[in-house]
Amino acid sequence: MLNYIENFTEELSHHLAALPKEEISRAINIIKSVYERDGRIYVFGNGGSLAIATHWVGDFNKTVFGNNLDRKMRRFQAVRLPSTETEITAWANDIGFDMIFAGPLQNYLQETDCLIAISSSGNSSNVIKAVELANKNHVPVIGLSGFDGGKLNQLADAKVVVKTGKGAYAMVESIHHAILHLLTSYFQDYFNDLIIRQDGKKPQKNSLS
Amino acid sequence: MLISRAPLRISFVGGGTDIKDFYSEYPGRVISTTIDKYVYVVINHAEFLNEFMLKYSQTEIVKNIDDIQHNRFREALKEVGIRSGGMEIASFADLPSKTGLGSSSSFSVALIKALYANKGKKISKEQVAREACKLEIDILKEPIGKQDQYAVAYGGLNIFQFNKDDTVTVEPVFVDFKTQADFEEHMLFFYTGITRSASSVLSEQKSKIKENFEIYKKMSDSVYEFRDKLIAGDFKALGEMLHHAWTWKKKLSSKMSGGEIDALYESALRKGAWGGKVLGAGGGGCLLFLAPPKKHAAIRQELSSVAESFGLKDSRLINFMLTNSGADVLFNTANNDHA
Repeated sequence: MLNYIENFTEELSHHLAALPKEEISRAINIIKSVYERDGRIYVFGNGGSLAIATHWVGDFNKTVFGNNLDRKMRRFQAVRLPSTETEITAWANDIGFDMIFAGPLQNYLQETDCLIAISSSGNSSNVIKAVELANKNHVPVIGLSGFDGGKLNQLADAKVVVKTGKGAYAMVESIHHAILHLLTSYFQDYFNDLIIRQDGKKPQKNSLS
Repeated sequence: MLISRAPLRISFVGGGTDIKDFYSEYPGRVISTTIDKYVYVVINHAEFLNEFMLKYSQTEIVKNIDDIQHNRFREALKEVGIRSGGMEIASFADLPSKTGLGSSSSFSVALIKALYANKGKKISKEQVAREACKLEIDILKEPIGKQDQYAVAYGGLNIFQFNKDDTVTVEPVFVDFKTQADFEEHMLFFYTGITRSASSVLSEQKSKIKENFEIYKKMSDSVYEFRDKLIAGDFKALGEMLHHAWTWKKKLSSKMSGGEIDALYESALRKGAWGGKVLGAGGGGCLLFLAPPKKHAAIRQELSSVAESFGLKDSRLINFMLTNSGADVLFNTANNDHA
């Protein structure tokens, strides 16, 4: 039993250590840019990846400003895609499962937005359809993939791949979760630091006034 | 209606190596960042207007594109292929022009982005930068390089490499929020109130590139050292690098510095700044210093009194933050189809 647990955690640590840190930095910069231009972050995936997306949206929109909820400041607008079950079933039933993300997305996607696409294989065709829509509109894409990265890793602007053997869902999904928590922590720390500095700082006056 | 914007930029080292006379011989490199000051372009379709109405520091109402006085408006409209009027275009800026923050290229980039969006075309960062370079360098024959157009189209803290084949390689510099905020707190940014067109300084610099080739090579190579020191948070070393570059740059053009600029620069160093630079092509505009935060108050006071003694009434400190986003269309109800 202990061996089994040790093997699992060792494998997880091995993949965590091999994460593409520059690509995660790129992802952070994309999200910072979206905040500056008051855009939205659309996050989506299938099955477990959709659950990860939903969890992250709840965390990110609130937790980032959790220590400063009383302060009036612009917050993030992260949206799980599609935002209603109605849209998922309507697009799947009427048009095709391929369009459950791209279909609703084309209604509201703006150039100021970004996508976080989550697919362990990197090849889910409905995820790729939405990514292609973003590519066509020059909307940046953060791609969280696993295995060999698949098409998603080729099309994404931030290529965050957890390189594993084919089918290692437990590894990939656990680490996708950790990466998304990293993004939330980063921006929580960033805004905490910013607010502390702003409050501590006396406003600089124009030199000659 | 449609609103686009492009940020202003601060370049740290490597300016001048983005000119073709240099980068056709040796890779040119610049390290720069965008800041939270912008140039905005607004396009409105006016149903009852048959003309073009352009609103900037002046207002032009013309029927024919060729009659537009403002060079950039005229040539950009032609480049993007807009011929018929019925359109108001206005520009707004957070800071005045000729501050050395690349605002004229920010305007070109925001304008090109807006004109394409107005036609229903979304263009990449690379395309908007390339087209702004074509407009300013090839068509308007300005003696400038390519760094500003790329810096503001892409946004963020980057090293740009200008290659022989006219391509530009963009390498983002990843600095975490804490280092970035510390960096901002060490920078002191002073608008001198001296406005001079960049062109006169740049023309002289351009004619002397061969003569000063070794200096330019050193400046191009130094971007990596600047990046590494920045990531390490060694702001003193960065200040000293700026000071070295300042002494090199003074050799590049007789117009680069002048009585007032030198006096202001030296006054800041006297009060504890590690180093600094004139932003833009020199001769006026803004001074950027790196100094320990606790010395900022004394430096500010000294700069103010020296500026006052020269009668520079418009001089002032500018507060800013570093940004990531480049040229953007923020609002578009004119032509915005995602399908």
